[in-house]
Amino acid sequence: METLNRTLETIGRSVGGVVGKIYQAGRDTIDVVLRTVLPFIAFVGLIVGIVQGTGIGQLLADTLAPLASSLGGLLLMSVIIALPVLSPVLGPGAVIAQVIGTLLGTQFGDGNIEPRFALPALFAINPQVGCDFIPVGLSLGEAEPETVEIGVPAILFSRMITGPAAVIIAYFASFGLYS
Amino acid sequence: MLEAIEAGAEYFIGIFQEGAGWFGAVVVGIIPLLIILLTGVNALIAFIGQERINKFAELAGRPGWQYSFIRYLALPVVAVVALTNPMAYTMGTFVPEKNKPAFYDAAVSFVHPPLGILPHVNPGELFVWLGIATGISAAGLSLTPLAVRYLLVGLVVIYLRGLVTQFIVDRMIARREAANTEPATA
Repeated sequence: METLNRTLETIGRSVGGVVGKIYQAGRDTIDVVLRTVLPFIAFVGLIVGIVQGTGIGQLLADTLAPLASSLGGLLLMSVIIALPVLSPVLGPGAVIAQVIGTLLGTQFGDGNIEPRFALPALFAINPQVGCDFIPVGLSLGEAEPETVEIGVPAILFSRMITGPAAVIIAYFASFGLYS
Repeated sequence: MLEAIEAGAEYFIGIFQEGAGWFGAVVVGIIPLLIILLTGVNALIAFIGQERINKFAELAGRPGWQYSFIRYLALPVVAVVALTNPMAYTMGTFVPEKNKPAFYDAAVSFVHPPLGILPHVNPGELFVWLGIATGISAAGLSLTPLAVRYLLVGLVVIYLRGLVTQFIVDRMIARREAANTEPATA
């Protein structure tokens, strides 16, 4: 009788633990969706409305679509965004990448850009990822101040090379996509 | 006169209707899957536990080029998938001092490529992926091939970033040491 009790208790406890963890995971998820994801969708929704509703969209389409539908144009985009003066400014919250991405998205949706260019475009809009966050990111990894001093310019210069390189790799990886 | 006002009002509300249509499509089409997926992955990470991840991270600190795959590929991936942005960068603690910038560069570059398959890594910046992805969906195409390729190319890119940044950091450290050994002119 006692062993049975103990077994039941162990089972109950571990099931409770599992349920608790999944429930907590659900709570965290809803929290992040309500606090971060939905507000951002509202923000982008307003921008999409203004851009599409006022006709700026057509203007942007005429500028962005040709740029995004050739390897040269995407490379140009990535080089500009990766400039060491611009990249830390364009970084915060990835807002620029998200807005350009959404505007490009509407062009893909309208069929103005070949869908296979979506892959290199994903890298072309984002060579500045994390450039605004280098000192904080390095401190999170417990780096010395001297390392931060070297690390910031090293990463910014590295992006000048790896930003366009990523676009080229993605361009070649996009062969056969949506064809 | 009245017609002009009506036209103006229609134009004004049209802007918001355009945005609202987009909002509805995204909320209905994307949020439900995102919520269930996020819950699943969050629960999985809670089951695996932090200690097991730390143990793996210690491998990345070993010297030798063969460990560069762990430093700039495996560890950034595990760190980002398990700890998500921005806690992933704390894994830099296990990496030798001179490798920290390159590790950060590799890790931070992986916070977007998995978004099509594992959106939990960076839900606040989902639209780096979703912006373009929504357009591809609107064109009537499946997102999976794009999501998979984005992830795979991301792996190549973060390893490359780790190596290039390491190369630059090594040069800068060497130059600084050379400057320090010369007699001070000040």
